Amino acid sequence: MDNQTFIQQKFLEFYEESASKIEGPSSIRQREFGFMIFKENMMVRHKSFDTVDALRTFIKENAPAHAYHSTAYYETPEVKMEDKGWLGADLYFDIDADHIATKCKEIHDSWTCKDCGFAGKGQPDTCPACGSKRFDQRIWPCDICLNSAKKETIKLVEMLMEEFGFSSSEVTVSFSGHRGYHVHVTNEAVRELDAGARKEMVDYITGTGLNASFFSSAVGAFRLSSKTSVSALDDVGWRGRMVRGAYDFLFSATIQNLMDLGIKEKRANEIILNKQAILNNWKREGPWRPMRMMGKEELRVILDYVIEVQSAKIDTMVTTDIHRLIRLPNSLHGKTGWLKVCFPVSHIDSFDPLKSAVAFKKGTVTIYVEESPKFRLGDEWFGEYERQKVELPMAAAIFLLCKDVARLVG
Amino acid sequence: MALTRIELAKYPFVLDAAEEVKRLDLDISNLENPNLKTIVDRAFNRIEEALATDPPRVSFRPGDEDKEIPSFPVAIILASATNNDYIKRRYALAEAVRAYDLLQFEDEKRIVEIVKVFNWKIRIHKQPVGNRRYDFALFFTHFLRNAEVFHEDEWKLVNRTMVNGEVFLNKREVARLIQEEVRRRIEKRFSVNVRQMLPEAILQRVDNLSKKYADRINQSRYTAFPKEVINEAFPPCIQIFYGSAKTGTHISHLGRFTLTSFLININMKSEDIVNLFRSSADFNERMTRYQVEHISGDRGSRTKYKSPTCETLKTHALCPGPDELCRTIRSPLRYYAKKTRMLKR
Repeated sequence: MDNQTFIQQKFLEFYEESASKIEGPSSIRQREFGFMIFKENMMVRHKSFDTVDALRTFIKENAPAHAYHSTAYYETPEVKMEDKGWLGADLYFDIDADHIATKCKEIHDSWTCKDCGFAGKGQPDTCPACGSKRFDQRIWPCDICLNSAKKETIKLVEMLMEEFGFSSSEVTVSFSGHRGYHVHVTNEAVRELDAGARKEMVDYITGTGLNASFFSSAVGAFRLSSKTSVSALDDVGWRGRMVRGAYDFLFSATIQNLMDLGIKEKRANEIILNKQAILNNWKREGPWRPMRMMGKEELRVILDYVIEVQSAKIDTMVTTDIHRLIRLPNSLHGKTGWLKVCFPVSHIDSFDPLKSAVAFKKGTVTIYVEESPKFRLGDEWFGEYERQKVELPMAAAIFLLCKDVARLVG
Repeated sequence: MALTRIELAKYPFVLDAAEEVKRLDLDISNLENPNLKTIVDRAFNRIEEALATDPPRVSFRPGDEDKEIPSFPVAIILASATNNDYIKRRYALAEAVRAYDLLQFEDEKRIVEIVKVFNWKIRIHKQPVGNRRYDFALFFTHFLRNAEVFHEDEWKLVNRTMVNGEVFLNKREVARLIQEEVRRRIEKRFSVNVRQMLPEAILQRVDNLSKKYADRINQSRYTAFPKEVINEAFPPCIQIFYGSAKTGTHISHLGRFTLTSFLININMKSEDIVNLFRSSADFNERMTRYQVEHISGDRGSRTKYKSPTCETLKTHALCPGPDELCRTIRSPLRYYAKKTRMLKR
């Protein structure tokens, strides 16, 4: 049996038992659905269902490699794009480890040059052998990558709740089933927002276009006299975030940290020497104005760094695209065999994706593994493997088969 | 706290136009009725003021409420009848600017009363927020709906103070947002088929007005690009996408769309664009041709796509950082238009 037939067989068995757990999005009649079907290896779009039962039956019968629904609501979701009649869309955010630089990618991600066949680890710009820029890439989800995605998700959720004012019942977080998290906001008021308004929300979250000079002068507002004002550290929104970010950074900064940002050694020395005085000033006034101990250019690079650290690394395309398809909750991800699982915001700290997303919990299977880095599923560690036959629990075996680094034996 | 007659004359957009017209028996087909002459005259005058002033502004005439209030919905009908986008846009803007000017003198309570008609979630807020003091708190979606078209950095949400879904604003800023809301609402009220309902004599006056400002109307902002493609005039972002396409380096979906729509708009031949993508790893001639024809409007929705603006490219991290000329324009196409003119000189 080839890999794909086996995987699809297992997906069928899974959905036979668990398709009933698929809830489907709200207002199901107004949603477009899309599926990646194993055999055809192509996307079936513009599907619609009257009831969640019809959706479950379709999934049970077809066991798709990937299942998606539109974030949008349409009058007639099954017709072609121009004629669907857009009524609104939920607000979605996607955070993918692919967009976050983590050192572990050097260990578990690999590439093969499409032109000369040379292969290596990490994510290169050009092939060191032939200079080509065309690669086949194998990306791998790991604890470090998933944790970094989770940290970004936490920053995003904080902004959504504190600044945008969404309640915890309006914000749902989910693990995508591969390398990241989705955040879904259901709130009547955001449904009608057009792409332009969503773009402004994206710019807020990523700190794009943030101009700190407005924070010193305060856009059209009166600044309170320093007698009545609170500590700049307690300020609100991005302004408070910037003050605290800059304060924390400088508080623990070394000369080397400053030089890493491109500040010259002599200037870095002076800043560290005057650290306490600068911190005291920032606490009162905020880090907006250059001073004798900290010039304009040094301040700029520090604030740029603070924005970089404090912003949340979301996929900007997903949020601004008001016709997007998004993975269906409780469905399987064809690149891992893991589930997309939703959970309440309050569980985010303790959530373990590599435990919660495991779908195949019964049986073992023997496979031949070409090459695999070490990985964890649930409480168990596997690998690393290199050109060897190994009997694995079903979830681990299906993961390697989905990743296309192994084949069935016998 | 209802609005007085004087306030309705200042802010006629708060009234249900249909109601007002009915109350005065302002039948469209009856506009030549001599009893309505002063109202119709003022309506024409409103539009003329919009066209004759710069920045456009309709005047406010206190003490003349019976004319001021009904002449507003009539002017909207007359502007619609010109079938001329320039006149319509200009008139909508002039009424909106007038509202902005007048709002400066209102107290906060009045402003809250006036915007009730927009269903904004707004409240007076004078307590300090962090280290600042403001006048109003406005729900962020209502802020965005109007501020998203402003290009100044100070109107970007990221540069505002926002807590718990509310954006904090001073009075002048709220007046500016109201101006935009009024402008949009008036533009939405222009209907298409009023001409056949209007009496002949009124139509004659409408057409005279259009003629009088014809030279202004023809001043289109459209600039033709040179027939030949001038690579040296590409902005920095397009240079990068173009280079990547040539060497077959991966370009993001939006990058590819930006490049293709840019090249179509500056008159590169479809054939040459398809060839440009030939060295890309996943090149598929049929698919590429289809996409190029789709973007150029030869297929599908039949609209020729404009290439994305600088703002959009910045949001998606596709702006490589501006050069000197970039700072003076807002889209790659404007850059190209300016640069080709500079190169010619």
